[in-house]
Amino acid sequence: MEIKPIFLSIKHNKAIAMLVIIQVAITLTVLSGSLLLTTSTLKEWNLPSGIPHYNIISAVPEFYDLEVDVRQSLIDDLARIKAIPEVINVSPATQRPFDAQGIQTIYLEASDEAQEYETNIFTGDANLPEVLQLSLIEGRFFREDEIVVGQRDELPAMPPIVMISEAMAKVLFPDNNALGQTIWLEKGAAPAEIIGIYSNFMNGENLNYFGQSYRTILQPLVTWQNRADPSYLIRVEDGMADGLLETIRNQLYKVDGRYVNRVEVLTRTQKRMYDGRGSHAIMLLVISSVLLLITAFGMAGLVSFLVTQRQKQIGTRRALGAKKWDVVRYFMLENGVLTTIGIVIGLVLSIAFAFVLTEDSGVNILDMSYIFATAFFIILVNQLAVYLPAKKAANVAPAIVTRSA
Amino acid sequence: MFAYNLKLAFKSLNDRPSLTILMVAAIAVGLGLFMTMLTLSHQAGKIPMPHISKQIHLVQLDNREVTADEAENFNQMVDLTYQDTQNLLKLPSSGVEQTLAWNTNGILNVEEQEIQPQRSSVVATNQAFFTMFEVPFLYGKGWDSDADQFSQAVIVLSKKSNDYLFGGINSVGKQVRLNTHVLTVIGVLDDWFLARKFYDRSYYQAWPDQAFIPSNFAFDSDLPRNARFDCWSTTTNPGKFRTNYLTELKTSECAWITFWAKLPNHNLEDYKTQLGQYIDSQKRLGRFPRENQYFLTNINDQLEVISKMIGREQMLGVISYMFFAVCLINAVSILLAKFMRRTKEVSLRRALGAKKRTILQQHLIEVVFIGIIGGLFGILFSYIGLQAMLRVSLYASDYVRTAADLMPYHQMDWEMIMMAFTVSVSCTLLVGLYPIWRICNVSPASQLKAQ
Repeated sequence: MEIKPIFLSIKHNKAIAMLVIIQVAITLTVLSGSLLLTTSTLKEWNLPSGIPHYNIISAVPEFYDLEVDVRQSLIDDLARIKAIPEVINVSPATQRPFDAQGIQTIYLEASDEAQEYETNIFTGDANLPEVLQLSLIEGRFFREDEIVVGQRDELPAMPPIVMISEAMAKVLFPDNNALGQTIWLEKGAAPAEIIGIYSNFMNGENLNYFGQSYRTILQPLVTWQNRADPSYLIRVEDGMADGLLETIRNQLYKVDGRYVNRVEVLTRTQKRMYDGRGSHAIMLLVISSVLLLITAFGMAGLVSFLVTQRQKQIGTRRALGAKKWDVVRYFMLENGVLTTIGIVIGLVLSIAFAFVLTEDSGVNILDMSYIFATAFFIILVNQLAVYLPAKKAANVAPAIVTRSA
Repeated sequence: MFAYNLKLAFKSLNDRPSLTILMVAAIAVGLGLFMTMLTLSHQAGKIPMPHISKQIHLVQLDNREVTADEAENFNQMVDLTYQDTQNLLKLPSSGVEQTLAWNTNGILNVEEQEIQPQRSSVVATNQAFFTMFEVPFLYGKGWDSDADQFSQAVIVLSKKSNDYLFGGINSVGKQVRLNTHVLTVIGVLDDWFLARKFYDRSYYQAWPDQAFIPSNFAFDSDLPRNARFDCWSTTTNPGKFRTNYLTELKTSECAWITFWAKLPNHNLEDYKTQLGQYIDSQKRLGRFPRENQYFLTNINDQLEVISKMIGREQMLGVISYMFFAVCLINAVSILLAKFMRRTKEVSLRRALGAKKRTILQQHLIEVVFIGIIGGLFGILFSYIGLQAMLRVSLYASDYVRTAADLMPYHQMDWEMIMMAFTVSVSCTLLVGLYPIWRICNVSPASQLKAQ
C-alpha cells in the first residue's frame, strides 16, 4: 500500500508535516474550547415562553410624588388603557414574565424545618390569566371578588387562594393532585389553597439559570408601597403591539407626579433576559468559524502548492498506470495521517483546556462528545481542502514526465 | 544589490499571488482578533486620572466586631459609617482634601410638560469632590462649603442631563426637581471621561452618573441609599436602611459610605497618624473593638486588586492568542513550502557567487514585507473587530449605554497601532526564521546535478 511512501514523504518534508500537525492540534483546542463554552452559555437559552409575548406590552410607571392617590390612579389607568380600541385586556402586575425579580421561597408545611421550594410569585387581578393567555389545566381561575387590593402594609389579610403552574405542581406534589392542597407563601403566615393549575410560562433568568424556568405562582393581589407601584401587563390585538407603546405611555402620563419607566413589548424583555449570554456565544461562534475558514484555506493552499511541485512524480505514476483516483487517494491519505496525529495531540490539549475553563468558571463544561464531533469535523474539512487541489493535480497528463524540466 | 534583492522579493510575492494573499490574510485576521482583545484590555486597564491617581486614597476604618474575618486588602474591608465620615471631615488636618460619596437615585423633572421626567442616578457628596477629582465644568461650578453645612438645595448636572432637561443651554440658576424636591442648578459638567468609575467603588465603565447633590441635602430629603450596608451581626435585615430608619442608621455601626482623601506624599504619614489617633479616641468611647486597623488604598492599588477579578475577558484573551498562533503557523507553512521550491534557484545563485548574506537579505525583505502588509490589514481588521465588540456591548446592555460612552473603550490609540506593527513584523520574522534558515543553508550547486 501507500503507507510506506507516505511516511517517506513526510520524513522528507519534516518541517511542513510538523506545522500541519501543530496547526490541527491548536485548531482543535480552540474550536472545541469555544464550542464547549458556547453550549454551556446557551444552556436554557431561548426556551418557549408559553405566552404570546409578542402581543403583550408591559408598562412600569412609578410615582415620585408620594402624595398621589395610588388607588384612584390605578382605577383611572385601567379605564384609560381599556379605552384604547386595540387593547384586549389589561391587568396590574408586580412581576413580569422574563423579568421576575428575586427568588421567593414557599413551603408545604408551617413547621420551622419545612423544606424550601423556590419560585416566582406573580400578582394581578382576575384578568391576568386572560392577558397572558394561560390555559386552565385543572380547577378554576380567580373570580373578580377574590382580588385583594390595597397598600401593602394596610392589607387586612393576604389572599387565601393561589393558582400554580403545571411545572410548579409537579415539583410540589409529584404523586398527588395539587388541586385543593395548601401551601405557605411565608413562614408563619396563613396558608393558601390551590384553586387552579395553569399552563407554564417563563419566569425569568434568576430561576431559569437553575433550570427552573416555569415555576410560577399566581396570587389574586393588587398591591403597592412607596416607590413600588403596580406595573401593567396589556394584551393587544395581533401585530399592533409596537404601534401602541407611545399611546400607552401618553395615557399613563395623564397622571401628574409620575415617571413612566419602561413601556415595551415583552419580546424586548425576553431579548434582555437572554442577550448577555447570547452575544457572548455569538462572538465565540464567529471567532470559531473564522478560524475554521483560515485553517481550511491554509490547508488547501498548502496542498495545492505541494501538489504542483510534485507534478512530475504524479505524471510518472500516471504513466506507470496509476488511475486518477489513486493519485487523489494518495494525497488524502497523506493528509489524513498528519491530521490524525494532530487530532490526537489536540484531544489532549482540548481536555486540558476544558479543565482550565471549568476551573475558571466553576461550571463543568467538559463533554467529550463535543470534542469528538469537532475533531471529526476538522478531519472532514481538511480532507475536503485536500481533495479539491489533488483532483486537479490528478488531471496531469501522463506524458508530462517526458518533457524536459 | 539591495535593489536587485528587492526586485526578486517582489517577484516572488507576485509569483503565486493567491498564496501571498493567503499568507497576508492569515496574519491579518489573526492579528486583527489579537489586537482587538489587546486593545480592549489595554483600555480597560487604564487608570482614571493617572496624574493624581496615586494621591487619591480610599479611607477605610475597621469598626467591625471582634469576630469578623481578617481582611487582606481593601476589597474585603468595610467602608465608613455615617458618624466616622462626619468625624473625619472635622479632622484638623490642614491641606488634606476629603470627600464622601454614596449613590442615590430619583426622577429628575422640570416644569415644562413636553420634557418627560427621567430616572437618574445621583451621587450624594460634598464640595471637595469637584476640586479633588478635578471635575471639568461647562457652566457654573461646584457648590461651596456653606451648601454642605446648611444642606442647601443645589445640584450639579451632567452634560447629558443638561442637554436633555434644558436643551444644552447654560442652566445655572434654573430650577430642577428631583422627585418633588426643588433644587437650583449650580453647575453643569463638561464631558467627564473616567476610565473606571472609581468613586463609588463600582469600577464601572461607561455608566456615568446624571447629577450630584450635597450629601446633607440627600439625608434631609431621605433619598434612597443605594449601598451595601455592612452591619454588625446584631443588626437584623440591614437592607431596610435603603429607604427607611435613617436616624438609626446614622448612629449605627453600619458601614456604607465611601470616603476619599487626597494625600500628596508629604501628607501621607501625617494623615496616618491622625487616623490612628482617631481610632484610639473612638476606642475610649467603646467603639472599634478590634485592633487599631485602617486601610489607605490609592486608585492604582485598587485597580490592581480589581483587575484580577475580571475573568471572562481573560478567557477570550487566551483564545485570541491561540487563534493568532494558528494563523501564524498557517502562514509559515505556506512560506516554508514556497521557499523550499526555490532551492534550485538559490543554489544556482550561490554557485554563481551570491553570498549567504545576499540570499538572507532577499528573503528577509520578503518576510518583512508580508509582516508589514499583514500589520496594515490587521489594524483594519481590529478596527472592524472593535466596532463589532462595541455593537455587542450595546446589544448586551439593551441599548441603555450609549455608543459615545463606550467609544473610548473600543478605540485604538497610537500606542496600540505601533504595537500592532511591532507584533506583526516581529512575529512574522520569528516564524519566518526557520524557512529563511533552511533556504540560506542550501549549498551552492547542490541542486543542479539532479536534472
